[in-house]
Amino acid sequence: MQMIRLAIRNATGNSFRGWVVFFCAALMAGFVISSTLVIRGANTSLQLALERLGADIIVIPEGHEQRLESALLMGIPVHCWMPDTIKDQVAAVPGVVATSPQLYLSTLRGATCCSVPEMFLIAYEPETDFTLTPWLEKNLDGGLEVGEAVGGSLVYVPRDEGVLLVYGYALDLAGSLDPTGTGLDQSMFFTFDTAFEIARASVTEAVKVMDIPPRTISSVMVKVSTDANVEQVAAEIDAAIPGVTPLETNKLFKGQREQLLSLLNSVVALLGIIWLLAMALIAVVFSLVVNERRRHIGVMRALGARRTTVLKSLILEAVLLALAGGVTGIAVAILAIYLFRTLIVGLMGTPFLIPAPLGLAALGLGALALALAGVVVAALIPAVRISLQDPAISMRE
Amino acid sequence: MISLNRVSKIYPVSKEVVVPAVRDVSLHVERGEFVVITGRSGSGKTTLLNLVAGLTRPTSGQVLLDNIEVWKLPDKEQSLLRNQKIGFVFQFASLLPTLTAVENVMLPKMFGGEQNQERVYERATQLLEQVGLADKFKSFPRQLSGGQQQRVVIARALMNEPELLLADEPTSDLDEATEHEIMELFRGIHTETGVTALLVTHSIDLASYGTRSIQMAEGEIVSP
Ligand SMILES: Nc1ncnc2c1ncn2[C@@H]1O[C@H](COP(=O)(O)OP(=O)(O)OP(=O)(O)O)[C@@H](O)[C@H]1O
Ligand SMILES: [Mg+2]
Repeated sequence: MQMIRLAIRNATGNSFRGWVVFFCAALMAGFVISSTLVIRGANTSLQLALERLGADIIVIPEGHEQRLESALLMGIPVHCWMPDTIKDQVAAVPGVVATSPQLYLSTLRGATCCSVPEMFLIAYEPETDFTLTPWLEKNLDGGLEVGEAVGGSLVYVPRDEGVLLVYGYALDLAGSLDPTGTGLDQSMFFTFDTAFEIARASVTEAVKVMDIPPRTISSVMVKVSTDANVEQVAAEIDAAIPGVTPLETNKLFKGQREQLLSLLNSVVALLGIIWLLAMALIAVVFSLVVNERRRHIGVMRALGARRTTVLKSLILEAVLLALAGGVTGIAVAILAIYLFRTLIVGLMGTPFLIPAPLGLAALGLGALALALAGVVVAALIPAVRISLQDPAISMRE
Repeated sequence: MISLNRVSKIYPVSKEVVVPAVRDVSLHVERGEFVVITGRSGSGKTTLLNLVAGLTRPTSGQVLLDNIEVWKLPDKEQSLLRNQKIGFVFQFASLLPTLTAVENVMLPKMFGGEQNQERVYERATQLLEQVGLADKFKSFPRQLSGGQQQRVVIARALMNEPELLLADEPTSDLDEATEHEIMELFRGIHTETGVTALLVTHSIDLASYGTRSIQMAEGEIVSP
């Protein structure tokens, strides 16, 4: 006969009360893990997207700010054009150390000449690029050839077609970028020359021509000198060049971030309420359990169980229920987040990145430990009270 | 073995009203005696047993068990002493409902910190056989009759070979025939092991089973 066996029997003995504690623990742990995953994941996503951009300022035609954010966050293609002379004008602004133009393109929807519909495509100029090139040099030993592309983590070559078709042009997927959780995961990057090749091929191979207006670009990526003030440089670009908007990347996704912050606040408040209620319920249930078993606890003491033994056996019982409930709650929460990911992203308006298995396990363990602590604290008061009571009193009717 | 010197136990019910459950009782029991305590309901029999076992604090007076004031020991030593020296049979259904008969009998060894499970199991089954329950090892308390349950409780009380057996109305819910069977069992245990026994009963007929009988009324020992 061991203590753990007694605790297991007692935990499973009264099914209804056991289930209440189990359910409370599941709720406590599940809520903590799901809100952490979503909010932390969203924050990480935004952060990674910003890092991926790798520029201090993005200059785009006026009025396309919102759509650029959607393109970066959700992968909804944006189309905007401005004269390529803007690039030189931006480069002339004091404090600017590097500029590189980009073209924003997209695949066609519902056309067999494109493997993936409505994919956001970004063409960069290899000679000036400073955003993608460092990654390419590190991971692919050099830049992309004409006809090659790198994709976000969710871009893959359709198995039944064997090639990745863009306007009827077969692209060679040379590499995959790490996931960010954002729309960038479903975007592709290639060079200007590749873009022009695709445009040329589209005349004969695609149902619709890919149109790149001559001598135009979609955006200019800007790097600011380390001793210059980004905000000031942006203001000067704004003043010097009419018809464009300089977007400071560290101010991007401001709406999303504010929304995230208010979401965090309400989630914390909700969590507080749920935890308080759950702990109160557990305390009540344990008081009932302890009261019902008062006599038997008195008997245990008479048979030589120490106060601490009684206390330990009750806490062990709470821990067992909390463990079972916590693990279940966490598993259900993670599963639900995987299954309803798109729904949650739609509701929040912000994508979120689910951490890798190891990180996920660490978060899960953290949530489990929290729930365990909560349950033990709730069960502690009734358990301590009964263990301190005179055995003779405990044994009375 | 047991020495009570002018012991009282007074329960405060409200600010003004107090219940003197045991009043100025002096009692000496020698090793090997089998004392039967009788008395009406509420006369203080259970309280007296609790005082002897150190399960409740005397309001005044001194309770000695082998010259030790049990109540004054720290919890750890108190528990150890109860575990090793005293066997209890309670007035109410005292088997843990979630444990089988044999597991209930094994309980005192668990509280005593015994590690050798096999030996404990073996002794528990021997005791159950001894009280006539060889076929009920794996039964849960709810599957046993009142008399059978009480036999399990007796087996449990004997698990640690106690020097003192405290039995509080062990036959209260049983029919007359079973009552005598259980009392015979106690008598047998007493003669076999020489354990000191204090047995409470409401029926004066059963007083003859002991080597001495005393009667309580209103918290006091009235005879002899
Ligand atoms: N914890 C308590 N608080 C208040 N009064 C108590 C308490 N314990 C016992 N009493 C009172 O003390 C008196 C003696 O109780 P006790 O249980 O010792 O009687 P008893 O002889 O065992 O009775 P019974 O035969 O019914 O078991 C009773 O009047 C009882 O109500
Ligand atoms: Mg009584």
